[in-house]
Amino acid sequence: MRTRHPIAASLAVGGYVVMLVPILFVVVTAFTAGSTLRFPPDGFSLRWFEAALTYEPFTSSLLSSLMLAAISAVLALALGVPVALAVHRGALPGRSVVEGLFLSPLIVPELVVGLALYQQLMVGFGLDNFQTLLLGHTVLMFPYAVRVTGASLALIDPAVEDAARGLGASPGRTFLSVTLPLLRPGLFSAALLSFITSFNNVPLSLLLQSRDFRTLPVVMLDYVQQNYDPIVAAISVLILAGTVLVAVIAERTVGFARVFGGINR
Amino acid sequence: MRGRTALLVLPGLAILLVAFLIPSIAMLFSPPGISPGEVFARLGRMLTDPYDQAIVVRTLGLGLIVTVVCIGLGYPIAYLLSRSTSRWAGVLLALAIFPLLLSSVVRTFGWLVVLGSQGAIPQLLLTLGLVDSAPQLLYTPLAIVLGLTQIFLPLAVVASYSALAQVDAGLDEAARGLGANRTRTFWSVVVPLSGPGVVVAATLVFAGAVTAYTTPYLLGGSRQRMLSTQLYTYSSTTIDWAAASATALIMTVLVFAVSGLSSLAARRGATS
Repeated sequence: MRTRHPIAASLAVGGYVVMLVPILFVVVTAFTAGSTLRFPPDGFSLRWFEAALTYEPFTSSLLSSLMLAAISAVLALALGVPVALAVHRGALPGRSVVEGLFLSPLIVPELVVGLALYQQLMVGFGLDNFQTLLLGHTVLMFPYAVRVTGASLALIDPAVEDAARGLGASPGRTFLSVTLPLLRPGLFSAALLSFITSFNNVPLSLLLQSRDFRTLPVVMLDYVQQNYDPIVAAISVLILAGTVLVAVIAERTVGFARVFGGINR
Repeated sequence: MRGRTALLVLPGLAILLVAFLIPSIAMLFSPPGISPGEVFARLGRMLTDPYDQAIVVRTLGLGLIVTVVCIGLGYPIAYLLSRSTSRWAGVLLALAIFPLLLSSVVRTFGWLVVLGSQGAIPQLLLTLGLVDSAPQLLYTPLAIVLGLTQIFLPLAVVASYSALAQVDAGLDEAARGLGANRTRTFWSVVVPLSGPGVVVAATLVFAGAVTAYTTPYLLGGSRQRMLSTQLYTYSSTTIDWAAASATALIMTVLVFAVSGLSSLAARRGATS
């Protein structure tokens, strides 16, 4: 692209290099035939992919992470969408305070929340680590459930709902056959955002691990700290492929930039 | 009607209280067997102890540098993309957003491959004969700044882009039509009008950078401790609840203060 802004363009190129080039190096390293993370890689092979897919801590924690992300995304929506409805449609006293409370998990550092749940719920209250992780991830996703579906709700003309009520539909019927279908893109966006956020989370999950239930990012972090071989590069490439798939699904449905950047383009 | 609305909020509110607000407040001010007084005493000792002070100063300093670098690189990207009519602009925007979706462990691992002693940059410098032995790039402040910039730059791009997209491109043209050159138009029209959005972007990046864990852990290690890695050590290795609460208080107050200042600045900007 030709540009009339040479300074801005060179800064932009620098930005893209920092954002993307390290990821390219991970991809190249994953296909090495050698046994160390050296660059340039020694030959080409798929051995590290085989190693990653048969390494039990990776496979079992992958399943744990997928399960945790799915259940907590559903829980966050089930509890958060009614809140969005109350804030945008109901006669709720102090609605901005309520909305602020549900957005607050975005502000408090996740590591701090993780420590609080570990100390107060696991050690203090005797919950097991899966229950604690589930509660923590659900709370962490409230902001997405409330704000993203709320933004979508604000775009729906209440007159449509009033019309349904005027024609004799009950509030429940109005919600199910008028509001919910119009809300679908917002719900889908919130679900995808929540799922990705939970699946990638480290700081909140870090202190909430046990031998029986660990999440993939935390297992990878431990592995990297103790070993220096390309197996992590291979599992990273598999995660990259899965993430690209999620991005493609988002683009084909609601629009990628709209789901993940909040950008209407 | 009012009663029914309250019913919609109550289940979520109950979970929010039990699994977030109450545990957080209890942990910050009175961890098991420790009085609030002891936490504050520990906080006071921390703020005067040279070792802990160095960690606070490093966290703030690196956080500021990362914020400046992210805005300095992210704003130009957002500006060029928001003013571009090329069909590639959509693809480039997607490439800038995509890393937001990718695990921070994966992204940070990339820097181990690039900066590690067997990695691309040290090996390149050796091959070119510029150095005699592989330079130590990991576990340096530079490594942390690069890693955190990679993590938070997409956020800076997205937030700046939203702000810039709201500035009518017709205003740029009007300024040009009245005789302002490109530089003048940029600094006296585009920047002031997108300023509040940039403040939001900077706040998000700073708050993220001073609380991030993965990147300082992998790229800074025990040589470049930050508040987050220190908090983890207090909570899981030494199990020093008072020190953990005091460190968590510093992090939380820091993030709330910056968010508060930023919304104050945004309100000022809106009324002036």
